[in-house]
Formats: sequence, structure tokens, C-alpha cells
Amino acid sequence: MGQIRVLNPIGVVKAQTVAVPSLPQSWSGRTVGFLDNTKSNFDRLAGDLGTMLRERYGVAAVVHRRKANASTPASPELIAELAKTCDVVFAGSAD
Amino acid sequence: MGAQGVSALPLLVVEHPLGGERPEAIARRAQQAFEQLHALIAGSGTSDRTEPTDRASGATAASNRPPTAEADLAAPATIDIPDDPIAILDAFTERNWADGLPIIAPTAERVSAMLDGRDAAKSLGIMPPLWRQVTLEKLAVNAVMAGCEPRAFPIILAAVEAMLDRAFNLYGVQATTHPVAPLLVVNGAYGRQIGLHGGSGCFGPGFRANATIGRAIRLILLNVGGAWPGRYDMATQGSPAKFSYCIAENEAASPWGPLAEGDTVTVYGGEPPHNVNDHVSTTASGILTTVCDTAVSLGSNVGWYFSQSQLLVVLGPEHARTIADDGFTRADVQRFVYEHARLPLGRLKLAGMWGMHDWPAWMNAVADPEALMPQVPSPDDVFVAVAGGSGKHSAVVPNCTFSRAVSRPIKPGGD
Repeated sequence: MGQIRVLNPIGVVKAQTVAVPSLPQSWSGRTVGFLDNTKSNFDRLAGDLGTMLRERYGVAAVVHRRKANASTPASPELIAELAKTCDVVFAGSAD
Repeated sequence: MGAQGVSALPLLVVEHPLGGERPEAIARRAQQAFEQLHALIAGSGTSDRTEPTDRASGATAASNRPPTAEADLAAPATIDIPDDPIAILDAFTERNWADGLPIIAPTAERVSAMLDGRDAAKSLGIMPPLWRQVTLEKLAVNAVMAGCEPRAFPIILAAVEAMLDRAFNLYGVQATTHPVAPLLVVNGAYGRQIGLHGGSGCFGPGFRANATIGRAIRLILLNVGGAWPGRYDMATQGSPAKFSYCIAENEAASPWGPLAEGDTVTVYGGEPPHNVNDHVSTTASGILTTVCDTAVSLGSNVGWYFSQSQLLVVLGPEHARTIADDGFTRADVQRFVYEHARLPLGRLKLAGMWGMHDWPAWMNAVADPEALMPQVPSPDDVFVAVAGGSGKHSAVVPNCTFSRAVSRPIKPGGD
């Protein structure tokens, strides 16, 4: 049986790398944020995790913000606010 | 994340599902997340957790496990395979390059014919969810695989451009648990010329242009965008419309002119068509009452994210003629559906997406449980097209609630 050569249909990625800062070693006194994707129970998950971070890591403040809905990106204003006020932000994703 | 230039982003993955779980189960998931975070901080954890535990996924056999993004990109630019239809299907299936159906082998010759002189390296942008380059070559490869004729390529290009428009929210459409599929509604002489069908059975099956153009779009979303079922395409159940979803409008049968002027493709993120069966009405009001009742349900996504909610009404020619003969313009149809495709507030509060809804302040202020709430922001968000053949049937296509329809001109002669 003969052979044929076919092209790969998969798209290729071309991107510049952005360095992600390391997680802080000390969380004492820091402000953490939760970007709520509005899916059910993320608010409870964020609340429980925020409490743990206060009690066990000495986090000073927890900021909780909700996107408008689960299926569209957070507004630039919301992202800017969290970037300005928080040391680390936990962004809810998926379900 | 890597495709957008962000590597090694820490991920905390908790057991799925989260929704519907009791507080103690949520607390357990918070503990899971905290332990992962602690490990990451201590340097003993990994940020490469991309396979969450999901007791509902049902994936068992290796052949049913979704491909990995890394495996995708590790594959060579070309492969040599036996020139046999079954061997070709096997090769593409085992690499998760196909949609489950036989494909046309994308040889360099066939891809070149599809490109028809266009610059293969030209990119239309990047496609979510994996943000891969949308080069004309890759679009042509997938169009060949789908069985498209080269003269279909301008329609595919216009449709992809439309999907990449921010208003369409392709990322949401690709990644959601909703079964949304991009429906292509093609207007103009070029579509008819290449065989696109808008008459009897237009939604399928039977018409090569409809079937292959719609299929090419799906293969592009799978292979270029990277949204594979269970991996980034998280549609809980999917839908037959995700195989292929493309029609021409039956402009000859429309009393009101085309949905869009000229050679145009409109891409609309919708559910499969919901049949509107009305064999008895002889008035516009009668038919449109049936349309409106079909258009609303507690399980529909339309209306929950209000600003992006849209409805598409595809009237069969006989229904359209009855409505028009009753003195209705297209604008009258839009207004009637806007005013009457509604559910009472009290019913919306029962379930569906209540509590997750994204409504403007005036809607949130409504207190009367009998108040009929609009599904879409305005009559202009009700699209009215005519398609199909003989028979007293129409269709409603609810949108996914987080994507707005986008139209683009078809350029048969290229850029």
C-alpha cells in the first residue's frame, strides 16, 4: 500500500513569555483577593479559604470581588482594582 | 496560559463539582486548596495540575481520554500514513485530530488548492481557548479534512473572522458547559452559487456545502482553538449541532428581505433549533404566540446574562407568509417576540440560573412574582430569518446568553 503525506491540522502557538512572580514565602500582613466567577459555592470556598489564610498565615485582609457573570471576562476596572490592592489574587475558574 | 505568554501559573484544583455541595463538602475542598497552596509555597508542590478529579466525567478507556495540549504541539508538521481511507481515519482519530467521522486527507496539494493563492502564513489572530495562531494554512487544512470545496473557503474565512470578534466571546463559547455551537446563517448570491441550501431540510442532512462548511468550523474550533470535549470544551453533553451547523437563508421565500445584506455570514452562538409546530394558526398572533411559548423555558440560558441574550427565530416559509399577509413587518415580528417571549419572575426564581443571573438594576428591582420578565434587552436582539421548505414548522434558536451574533462580509475574490 502506498503512503501519502498529510499536514497537521493543529494550530501553533507563538507567544512571548511573561514571568510569573513566585508566591510569597510570608503571607503575614498581606492582602489577598478572590475573583469570584459567580459559579455556585465559589463564594463559600473563598470564604473558607480566606479564613484559613487569616488564621494560619496571618493574612491581614481579604478582598472578594465578583465578575458580572461566569462566561465573560472580568472588566479591566475590576482587574486593575485587584492588582492595585492585593498581593495575591485567587481567580475562580471552571465550575 | 502558555499560549498567552504566562507559564507556571500556580493552580489549585479542587474536587468537582463545587455547585450543589453542602457546606462541609465546601470546607473539605477549601482544605484541599490550602494544602496545595502550602505545598507550592514550600516548593514541594507542582503547578502542573491540569487534570481535576471529576467523578462525573465518565472517562474510562484510554481512547476516550482527551488529548493533552502538550501532545498536540509535539506532533510534527506533516505525517506519512498509508493511503487508505481506514488507515487515514485511524491515524487522525488516534491523534485526536478529527471529529469522529472520516476525513479527507489534507495533502499539500489539496491544501494549496483550498488556499487558491492566498498567503498560507497569514494569521487572522489567535483562537481560544489555547490561543493558537489562526493561519490560513491551518484553516485550509481543516477545510480539506471536512470535505469542503475550495470555493467554500471564503465563507469559512468570514465565519472565523466573525467568531474572533470580541462580541462573539469565542472563549466562552468554546469552554462553557452549555452545548452552544456557532450557527452560520449565510446570505447572498455567493452562498447559493456554491450550493448552500436554505430550503427543505436546511438544518440537515443532505447538502454538501451546508454539511462541510459547518464541519470545517467545528474542526477548526477543535484543532486550531484546541477545545476538545472534556478538555477545555467543557460542554456537559454537547449536541449534534456541534458537528456541523450551517444554513443559507431562504431569501426567495422571505417577505421582508434578507437577514443581512449582500454576501454575508452571520455567526450566532446557539442551541440546536427548537421546533415550532403550528398547524392551525391563520394569523400572525397565533403563529408568533406558538413561537414565543417555544422560545422560553426555565432551562434556557437566554435572559440570565441579560445584556448578551439574543433569540433567533427561523420562520418556515409558510409561517412567514401567513405573518406577513397579516400586515406584519420584520420589526413587528421582533417587537411581538420581545414583548411576549417572557416568563414570570416567580417562575424564574424556582431554579435555572437564579442567583447567578446578571441583570440590570431595573430588573433586579422588580418584586411582583407575576411580572413578565423580558428575555432579551430589546426587539433588535430578536433576529428573524426565513429558511426551510413546505410545511407548517418554524424554529427558535436560543443563544447561549454570553455571546452576541456577529456578521462579516464574504470576500470571494480574497482580501
